[in-house]
Amino acid sequence: MGARRSRLELVFDVLLSIQNKGGKIKPTHLMYKSNLSHKLLNSYLEELIQKELVVIEEEIVKKKKRPAKVVKITDKGLAFLAEFRRMREFTDAFGL
Amino acid sequence: MFRLFFTPGWFNEFDLLFKGIGLLVALLIAAYSWKFYRIDKDNKFAYFSLAFVFVSLSLGISIFTSGVLNFFPLRETVAQVLSPITGEGLRFSELFYRAAFFVEMASMLGAWLLIFLISQKPRDRLKRYFELSQIGLFVYLVLLISWVANFKYVVFYLTSLVLLSLIVLNYYKNYLNKNKNKNAFSVMSAFFLIMAGNLFLVFVFLHSSLYAAGQLLMLSGSLLLLRTYRRVVRG
Repeated sequence: MGARRSRLELVFDVLLSIQNKGGKIKPTHLMYKSNLSHKLLNSYLEELIQKELVVIEEEIVKKKKRPAKVVKITDKGLAFLAEFRRMREFTDAFGL
Repeated sequence: MFRLFFTPGWFNEFDLLFKGIGLLVALLIAAYSWKFYRIDKDNKFAYFSLAFVFVSLSLGISIFTSGVLNFFPLRETVAQVLSPITGEGLRFSELFYRAAFFVEMASMLGAWLLIFLISQKPRDRLKRYFELSQIGLFVYLVLLISWVANFKYVVFYLTSLVLLSLIVLNYYKNYLNKNKNKNAFSVMSAFFLIMAGNLFLVFVFLHSSLYAAGQLLMLSGSLLLLRTYRRVVRG
């Protein structure tokens, strides 16, 4: 069994899931990709929106021809991902 | 004038330069680790930052005392500035140097001890009180050793050597655990070079040029740490 993820690692996983989907993702897909419950994902999304790491936009879905919500990663979110990767590399290198 | 470490005359300028480079590298790593502490609020980053602050403090004091001892104009200026503390004609200079050497050695040994504890302990263990009490006991021993080393410098280098060997062993384990990560290998090698430098310094009583060889090895270790730091920062 893997170790429990820290809050920061969860934020990283959420942002990484969005980045891996080309920068935008549907909330339901995000819930599965980041392996979080609906309630927990909503609380994290609120925090990420507050910190301007992601934004929620409405986009027209071709199949349904009506607007649907998508979560988009911002430039600040991408910068956070890069910083977190550096932190992980630092931690690995110095055995922290 | 009281002297504890004996640097060969021809090596005085290089000694200051080498230690200056080491000080800068230690400050860079301390600042970077502190930055991560501010993001993650995990104590391990704060302890690691503190360890490198100790290294830079030790090197800073070493640069200061070596500079004062070996360079005449600087010695005269410092004598004037410190005359209210050390007395006219540096009457209490021996006490002053002993105090400076004590802080130099205690902070360096404290730094190695912290790095050893951080590199050994699994996550979150440093947060617990019993770990802090263990640190308290080690701090007492470090202070005791630093005081004894003020009369016999070899005790300082021997203790450093033992602590650094344990650090290298921890970093070797870390290198294996992290799937032979090249940065982990660089950090292990850097501490190995610093340890080898200390080994040379233990035997400095045999020939003074061993001091230069030891410092050169320690400089190589610092530069390797700098290279790893740059690789991590560049991502």
